Amino acid sequence: MSDAPRGEYAIVAEDVVKTYDGGMVRALDGVSMTIAHGEFVAVTGPSGCGKSTLLHLIAALDHPTSGRIIVNGRDLRTAGNEEYRRNEVGLVFQLHNLLPQLTAIENIEVAMFSNGMSHRAQRERSRELLDAVGLTEKEKMTPPRMSGGERQRLAIARALANDPSILLADEPTGSLDSAAVERVLELLRTIRERHDVTVLLVTHDQHVASTAERIITMRDGKILDALPRA
Amino acid sequence: MPFQLLILRNVFTRKVRSGLTGMAVAIAIMTVVALGVLTHSLHQTAISVLETGQADFTVAQKGVSDVLYSAMDESEVSRIQQTSGVQSVVGVLVAAVKLDTNHPFFLELGIQPNELAPFGVQVVDGRAYNANATDEVMLGYSAANDLHKKVGDTINIDGHNFRVVGIFRVGNVFGDSASMLPLTTLQANERKPGDVTLAFVKAKPGANIDAMRSTIEHDQPELATVRTVSDFGRVDRNLQLISAANVAISILALVIGAIGVMNTMIMSVFERTREFGVLRAVGWTRARVITLVMSEALLIALLGAVVGVALGFVAIKLLQRVPEVIGVFQPAYTADVFGRALGIAVGMAIIGTVYPAVRAALLQPLDALRHE
Repeated sequence: MSDAPRGEYAIVAEDVVKTYDGGMVRALDGVSMTIAHGEFVAVTGPSGCGKSTLLHLIAALDHPTSGRIIVNGRDLRTAGNEEYRRNEVGLVFQLHNLLPQLTAIENIEVAMFSNGMSHRAQRERSRELLDAVGLTEKEKMTPPRMSGGERQRLAIARALANDPSILLADEPTGSLDSAAVERVLELLRTIRERHDVTVLLVTHDQHVASTAERIITMRDGKILDALPRA
Repeated sequence: MPFQLLILRNVFTRKVRSGLTGMAVAIAIMTVVALGVLTHSLHQTAISVLETGQADFTVAQKGVSDVLYSAMDESEVSRIQQTSGVQSVVGVLVAAVKLDTNHPFFLELGIQPNELAPFGVQVVDGRAYNANATDEVMLGYSAANDLHKKVGDTINIDGHNFRVVGIFRVGNVFGDSASMLPLTTLQANERKPGDVTLAFVKAKPGANIDAMRSTIEHDQPELATVRTVSDFGRVDRNLQLISAANVAISILALVIGAIGVMNTMIMSVFERTREFGVLRAVGWTRARVITLVMSEALLIALLGAVVGVALGFVAIKLLQRVPEVIGVFQPAYTADVFGRALGIAVGMAIIGTVYPAVRAALLQPLDALRHE
């Protein structure tokens, strides 16, 4: 985790607008919000409401058309995207996006290139993470030989490789059966508690969203409400 | 995980694609190696003719297509003898004949018996031929062994029967595989009275050889002097053409190989779009993506080069079995040929991968992650 001053909030969005097709499509329409350090927040809403777009902007995978996003006190307009994605945020996708030719432990290590750690330290860290997500026995297994739940847990381990302060998960349970969903959600809660990580979870599943401390509901590119869990 | 291991894993996981790319490189490298060895061997064979005599330099007719077509008359040889600093000049008529299918390139050297010693010839068995003998010949010891001839045997060379009167050694593979006979006899048989092919010049101790060569070429502009391998093209246009063709084909192999590498690497980058999106999403820099793609191509090219060199060896061995080629050249495997092959393989990888690597690096992570 970075030692730089983190700012008052983990994530701040100020009047963020994102349009496509020359303004014809307005994916985000003046979104403003704050997320505190260590908070577990779910963003929910129907398909096309802009929740994934918001996550992509926070992950610096895309840029706002206007407005600004500040993460740990850093304005993403001026931050170096690669260094930011490597050190500040961990990303988990619905389709896990693991590299099929690499083993479980190598899939974690591949995210640690350029972080300055020795190969030995990278391997130790990867083993710790495999242990944390319950995949110690699967260290040498490649993703195609793992179950959907195991792959997603491995993807979470990879997201934590560089000890980020923020974990961004885009529909991480979207392709899992109910037992695997529960295990992944439990894992996210545990990680948040043990690693002091801010978790932003995007989901259209109300049950999944209900595990968060706060639920932000979106519709048509706007935030409808941001309420604590009932 | 070391970065190098990731490169290895990526190359060997995609066996078919890596194999096909490697084969394209291997075929190009095989061509370069085979042609390089062939050209170098022809060069060595040709230069060996000039090195047969123990001379400081050799004189031949300028600009002929093949050094064996060089023709000088005895008056030109006499004028060379009169050049300041020249100690001795040996005029030699050279003829290449076909003995049989196993010996399609057998050399006859016409030389006066009194000039054998200055020419560096050592008679190791029997005696030297007589100056005016029309049926006496000496064989180099390699030729004698190869042809199973000894002193007293007869041999038919180009329709003429000779008696082997001696076996000689000159300390040069090419010369020791040839035959020697009186100059006048060979001139008569070849219908070239008074002609010699080459003049082998020995300088007086301390003489300025370069000045001597300049004087000869100035006084007799139809002649060229040869002292080093690089001079050889002046008296053998064919070899110059072969060398030029070798360079041209190497460039062509480089271009064709690079296009092959580019083709497969573009396909590879296209198929791995999502993978590059993931790597960029987890913080890989563009430079690291470029390094990965180029390193993979470089590894494939180097493996292809190893296979290509091996195939080149096989090709040369097969070429040596072709009846028209048997005995014409002895393969010369030099570091220069393999250095060029390695350089071309690296060049193929770099030229063929610049565009695919940059394309992979410039992928927008989000677009790449959405790629199906």
